[in-house]
Amino acid sequence: MELNFSKEDLQFRDEVRSWLENDYPKHVKAKQDNAEPLTRQDMVDYHKAVSAKGWMGYNWPVEYGGTGWTATQLYIFNKEFGLAGTPPLLAFGVSMVAPVIYTFGNEEQKAKYLPDILEFNTWWCQGYSEPGSGSDLASLKTKAVKTFDGKHYIINGAKTWTTLAQNADWIFCLTRTETTSIKQEGISFILIDMKTPGIEVKPIITIDGEHEVNSVFFTDVKVPVENLIGEEGKGWTYAKFLLAHERFGIASVGGSLRALNKLKEIASNLENTDLDKKITELEIDLNALEITELRMLSDLENGGQVGAESSILKIKGTEIQQRLTELMVESSGEHALLYPGPHGFGSNDKPSGPDYSADAVSKFLNMRKTSIYGGSNEIQKNIISKFVLGV
Amino acid sequence: MNLNFSEEQVMLKETIQKFCDNDYDFYKREEVIKSENDFDLNTWNLFAEQGWLSMPFSEDSGGFGMGPIELSILFEEFGKALVIEPYLSTVVLSGTLIDNSSYEHKKDIIERICSGSLHISLAYAEAKNSYNYNLPSTSLSSDLLLNGTKNLVLNGGNANKLVVSCIHNEELTLVIVNADKDGISMNTFPTVDGQSCAEITFENVSINSEDVIGTGDNAITLLNNSISLATLCVSAEAVGCMSSCYLKTVAYTKEREQFGQPISNFQVLQHRMVDMFIESELCRSLLIKAMLEVDSGSDDMHKHVSGLKAQIGKSGKFSAQQAVQLHGGMGVSDELMIGHYLKKLIVIDALFGNTDHHLKKYAQ
Repeated sequence: MELNFSKEDLQFRDEVRSWLENDYPKHVKAKQDNAEPLTRQDMVDYHKAVSAKGWMGYNWPVEYGGTGWTATQLYIFNKEFGLAGTPPLLAFGVSMVAPVIYTFGNEEQKAKYLPDILEFNTWWCQGYSEPGSGSDLASLKTKAVKTFDGKHYIINGAKTWTTLAQNADWIFCLTRTETTSIKQEGISFILIDMKTPGIEVKPIITIDGEHEVNSVFFTDVKVPVENLIGEEGKGWTYAKFLLAHERFGIASVGGSLRALNKLKEIASNLENTDLDKKITELEIDLNALEITELRMLSDLENGGQVGAESSILKIKGTEIQQRLTELMVESSGEHALLYPGPHGFGSNDKPSGPDYSADAVSKFLNMRKTSIYGGSNEIQKNIISKFVLGV
Repeated sequence: MNLNFSEEQVMLKETIQKFCDNDYDFYKREEVIKSENDFDLNTWNLFAEQGWLSMPFSEDSGGFGMGPIELSILFEEFGKALVIEPYLSTVVLSGTLIDNSSYEHKKDIIERICSGSLHISLAYAEAKNSYNYNLPSTSLSSDLLLNGTKNLVLNGGNANKLVVSCIHNEELTLVIVNADKDGISMNTFPTVDGQSCAEITFENVSINSEDVIGTGDNAITLLNNSISLATLCVSAEAVGCMSSCYLKTVAYTKEREQFGQPISNFQVLQHRMVDMFIESELCRSLLIKAMLEVDSGSDDMHKHVSGLKAQIGKSGKFSAQQAVQLHGGMGVSDELMIGHYLKKLIVIDALFGNTDHHLKKYAQ
C-alpha cells in the first residue's frame, strides 16, 4: 500500500503551483482574495490564461487538443487550484458539453465547437432544469418541433436555474422532440445560439443577493437541425454520460482545505473551545473525504472502476463546504448580523468588527446551493442505494 | 499511489475471512460467554497454529514481522464475526510492547505467546486520571516494591503475567510480573461486549530488577506506541462491525415485509442505510491513512490515530444504533448479532480514549 504520489505526479503538482504563483492573472487574484465581484471580462481573462497554458482541455483526450491527464493529475490540478483560491473553472463548456460533442457529435460539429471551447471564445450555459422538472429531470417539457422542410427545430418552453446565462453565447438544451410513454425516450440534445430571436433571459436573484442564475424562456426559437447532437431521442443517454464526467473534482477538497486553514487561523485568536472542537471535527471529516477520493483514484490508476460510490464525494464534499461557511458565521459572532450584500462593504464606510465577517453570511447563503445542484444530495443517496447497496 | 492490499495481504484476509465465516459460530460464542470460560481454548490454539498469534512480532523474536496493515486486516474480520478471544490484550497491548523493549527474557515470552501457552495483560488504566496513561498513581518504591490498584485490565483474570505501568523515581516505569505473585489480588468483571477485565491490587509486590522493562522516555514511548497500535486495531474492528451493520441491515430490510412490501422500498430507510454506508467508508478511509502512518512510524502517527478514533466513536455508535432501529424489535433481541455490534461499538468508543478525548488530542 502506498498513499504518496509518484515522482512524476509531484513534478506535475509543482508545475501547477508555479503557474498559479506566476501566471494566474494578478487582477483576478486580487479581486478574488478580497471577495470582490469578478466581471465577465475577468472570467474570460482567467480562462484564456488557463487555455494559453494548454490546460483548458483538462479532462479531454489528446486527439481533441486535451491534456490527456490521468485521473490523479486531474485531481492534483483541481486541488491546487482550490488551494490557491481561484474561481472554479466554468464546467459548462469544457467538461459538460464538450465530452458529449466529441463522443456523440459528427465531424462538422467537433470542428465547429471544440476549438472555441478550448480557447474560451464561447461561454456556454446548461439548459436542463425547468420550472416543473428539477430532480425529476426526465419530465422536462421544452418542446422542439421539426419544421415541414426538415431544416429547423422550433423550440418553445422554459429553462431555469441557468447559471450565468446572462454571460453565455451558447446553451445546450435537453428538449422533447417526441412525447413517448417512457419519459426518458423522446428527449434530444440540442445546441442553441443565445443570440437567436425568441430567447429571453431573466435574472433570478438568490438569497445572498447575487445574480448567478436565470430563467431562460424560448418562444418559437428557430434552430438549424445541424445543432442536434447525436440521434434524435437519445438525449437522455448523453445527459447521463455528461453527469459521469462531472463527478471528479466535485468533492472540492482543495477549496475546502483553503477555507479550513483560514477558519483555523481566525479561531486561533478567539479562545472559543466550543468552536475549536467543531473545527477539529470538520478537519477530520475533510481528511476522510480526501482519502476517500484518493481511494477512488487508486482504483482508477490500478485498473479498477469507480461507480456510484463517487456520489459520496458529492454528498460529503458539499456538506463540508456548507459546514465551513456555517462555522465562519459562528466565528463572526454578533457581527454576523450586518448584511453587506454579496461582496462585502467595499472600501468606504466599513463597520467595525473583523474583516472576515463581511462576507461570511453571504458565502453561507450562497453555499446552500451545493447540496441542491448537480443532482441533489437526496438523489445521490438514491443512486447509492440503488447501485451500491442494491436496494 | 496504490491503496490495494498486496497479494500476501489479500491471502491473509481470505484465510481469516474463511475462518470467521465457517468456523466462528455466533451461537457457540454466546455459549462460551455464558459459561465460566472467557473464551474458547480450542479457538485460541487454532490462532496459534495458523500463526496469527505470531503476526506482529519481529522475526528475531520468532514472529512474522507483520505490521499495522496486517493487524488491521485481522481485526476488521474479527469485528465482523465479533470474535471474543483476547488477542488485543496478549498479542497487541502486551506482546508488541515487550517485543519493542530491551527486556532480556523477551524472546522466551514472545515464543510462549506465539505458541498460545502464555496470556499476558497490560495494566495501564486506573480509576483516577482516566485516559491519561502516563501519570499512574501506582508506584514502585526504591527497593522495588509495587503498590497500587489497576482497573479495566483486559483479560486480566486469565493472565499468567502482567505488564504494569507505575511511577518509579518520579518517572513512568513499566514492570513485568507473574500474576500469581504474593501481594497480588484481583476481582474480575464482565465487559459489555462479552469479554472480561480485572481490577488488580498490588500490595508490596516485590519486582526483580531485571523485570523493569522500561523507564522514563523509553517507557512513555513503549506504552504510547502499544496503546496507539491497539487503538488502531480496535478501530479496524469497529470498521468491520460497521460494514456488517449496514450489510446485514440491507439484507434484513429486503426480506422484512410490512404494508405488503419489503421495507427496503421505503426511501426514508434507504437513505438511512446510505448514511450507514457512507460513515463506514469514511472511517475506512481514516483507517487506511492511520495504518499507513503507524506503519511508517511517522511523527504524525498518534495524531492520525486520534483522528480515526474520534470518528470511529461517533460513526460506530451511529451505524449500530441505526442498525438496531431498522431491525425493529429484532434489533433489541439478544438472539441477533445486531445488538451485539452496538455493544462492541460502545466498548470500542470507551477504550483508549473516547471521541471527545481524541478530538482534543488531535487538535494539540
